[in-house]
Amino acid sequence: MDAAFRPPGLHGLIGDHPTIVKLRALVERVAATDATVLITGESGSGKEIVAHAIHAQSVRARRNFVPVNCAAIPHELLESEMFGHERGAFTGAAAPRQGLFATADGGTIFLDEIGEMPLQLQAKLLRVLEDGIVRAVGADRSIKVDARVIAASNNDLVAAVKRNTFREDLFYRLQVVPIAIPPLRERRSDIPILIEYFLDRMRQRMPGRDWSVTREVMVNLWSYDWPGNVRELVNMVERLVIMCEDSVIDMPLLPSNLVSGSRLAETRIPTTIGANGINLNSLVRELEGRMINEALKQTSGNKQAAAKLLGLKRTTFAAKLRRCGVIAPSSPDEADEA
Amino acid sequence: MEVANRIPQIMVVDDDPDTVSILARHLQREGFVAIEAISGAECLRLVHEHRIDVILLDLMMPEMDGFQVCRSLKQDPATAEIPVIMITARDDLDARAEGMRLGVSDFLAKPVFRRQLANRIRAQLDMLATGRATEAALSNLEHAHHADKK
Repeated sequence: MDAAFRPPGLHGLIGDHPTIVKLRALVERVAATDATVLITGESGSGKEIVAHAIHAQSVRARRNFVPVNCAAIPHELLESEMFGHERGAFTGAAAPRQGLFATADGGTIFLDEIGEMPLQLQAKLLRVLEDGIVRAVGADRSIKVDARVIAASNNDLVAAVKRNTFREDLFYRLQVVPIAIPPLRERRSDIPILIEYFLDRMRQRMPGRDWSVTREVMVNLWSYDWPGNVRELVNMVERLVIMCEDSVIDMPLLPSNLVSGSRLAETRIPTTIGANGINLNSLVRELEGRMINEALKQTSGNKQAAAKLLGLKRTTFAAKLRRCGVIAPSSPDEADEA
Repeated sequence: MEVANRIPQIMVVDDDPDTVSILARHLQREGFVAIEAISGAECLRLVHEHRIDVILLDLMMPEMDGFQVCRSLKQDPATAEIPVIMITARDDLDARAEGMRLGVSDFLAKPVFRRQLANRIRAQLDMLATGRATEAALSNLEHAHHADKK
């Protein structure tokens, strides 16, 4: 498949990273089948978008795509939501109701957060997957339903199986075709491509307007870890566009948590000592690191020239570079601590 | 998501031999195999002799700097997909912009924190595992498809 293949709506999988290119091929291939799919990925990585893309590219596209968030529906209601109920099946069931599986007949049902499904319901889902037969709550008879099942979960379904909160047989039955969507921070090189893609979408939405991102903003967005993944990036691009008064998206628009590391933004070395005192050692290390960094920057990385600029012997400079330079035990404010 | 039957091989490239050995020791403690290179040229030679999973590349090196090494790696189809993590004492906008342009997978400022370095390497290994899993799923589907036709 063409690496630049970018169907509208598949923006969870925009990019040139080799894994993303393979994922797009897999989505296209699996759409041509009726196989059950299990999509895993962090929050915001675009699981529903991928599920919907599989549906939209399949022969079922003209029928319903029915998303069900298993975590959002109270456990006691989930069964009747999914399979429907007869009149009087339980208190409050005044009229019979068709379940979401029946709504998805001929189409696709998307079971998001499948790990949240209660065990008793998992058993029922397994039977539906095996023979396509659905029985509404309180009903005497079963009906045959032809719904393709796509399930999704965070990466913790394997752990749920080990904890016995998720049925192993159901896990394997769902995982006929596994699709794992990587977090955005693992494919940083796609960030500029995604930003340009979302800007383009905004241009189409607001004809006549145009925006460009300064290099500094782009580098900061590229350096950020995006815990909310592609969804967080879309929201950020839209926010920057809305806040942008002219056409240039520049640093003052960036929220402070997106401005990367201390060295890309100026930090201030204090000249007075407050009531809480200071940590002289860390301050000296900070200043030393910054001056070394600055000297290397001015000399384009020439260590000998940098040493001279700092009034140090080359060997002293090399030792300092190594000491403050290679590896440090993890600090409490280290973001990657988890 | 790491491959269970193979210990990941991480190459460390830095012109300072002490830095290389400090990093290599740390990587071994984290359960990786460390391949050491003390120049860009050595990196480009060794990368063809081992199955390298991730490369930790210093930016400032004499003769051939990290950017030049990265460019060579990315231009060679045999090495283009190996994730490169740039590690450098020179952390400024220009350096990061160039790293971004060259397609480095990550960019870390020295000093790197132990846990941070291990996490960033594991993130790239996870990504490689996802790529392999995707390939396997794709090839399973192709086989099923061909079996159906027969």
